[in-house]
Amino acid sequence: MWKKQSTWILLVSAVLLVSLGALALLRLAGGGSVARITVDGKEIKRIDLSTVAEAYEFDVEGENGKNRVRVEPGRIGVISADCPDGVCVAHGMIEKSGDPVICLPHRLVIEIVGADGGPDAVIGEPHE
Amino acid sequence: MSKSKRLAAAAILAGLALVTFVIESQIPPPLPLPGIRLGLANLYTLMAVSLLGRKEAGAVLLIRILLGSLFCGTLLSLLYSAAGGLLCYLVTALLYPALGDRLLWAVSVISALAHNLGQLLVAYFAVGHAVLAYAPVLAIAAVAAGTAVGLLASLLAPILKKRALRP
Repeated sequence: MWKKQSTWILLVSAVLLVSLGALALLRLAGGGSVARITVDGKEIKRIDLSTVAEAYEFDVEGENGKNRVRVEPGRIGVISADCPDGVCVAHGMIEKSGDPVICLPHRLVIEIVGADGGPDAVIGEPHE
Repeated sequence: MSKSKRLAAAAILAGLALVTFVIESQIPPPLPLPGIRLGLANLYTLMAVSLLGRKEAGAVLLIRILLGSLFCGTLLSLLYSAAGGLLCYLVTALLYPALGDRLLWAVSVISALAHNLGQLLVAYFAVGHAVLAYAPVLAIAAVAAGTAVGLLASLLAPILKKRALRP
């Protein structure tokens, strides 16, 4: 059975389908309006994006470097950072859960969570 | 194949893997996981396990990760590469003897999944559960890139065995 091409084609297709399904679920379940900023696993700030009237920016300074965060009505993102890859800046502004901005070198995470404060849709993790 | 010829072949594969790795690392990553890329360098690990054996494949991979991180990485990216590479190698070494060249593409896909799982685990310990949101994307990337690289390897391995490495 394991020597057959068809077994592996089916298995790989199944992995692909499950992943696509999980991706769709993550995006569809996206809701919430509270942005949570964590550095090194510790929450440092919580912003209710639905109450933001005017855009503003601030710096998040960690042990490893600095990220400049921009908050706009309904969305949040990193606009500049001194990390080597700049992936967090390239990610752009986010407004839904299931699409966190992550700066690995600085261990910074910005994610949208439900109003209740718990993670909105985290697969494979019990609710906090 | 003589011992010196094996050594030379392994060295060529390691050199090619390193060059591929360096070129690939110049392409900006689509996701914030250092080291996520097409994984073309894995082609040489697959070639090594098919043409030479498990030990040589491990050596090719180890040299590529260590020197690759030295040339164009950081201590952090070495950690991600090493975690991904270790899992990728374990899967390759276990599956290849059972599946052979005909199913090299499947070895490639499963080892690519293992590689991305390793990187995701390191990221999980670094920043917490938020990175799990990337798991589906990483799995899809592994299937796509693993299939492409694996099919190439499936085609190349028999040709190289017949022509390039005649005793």
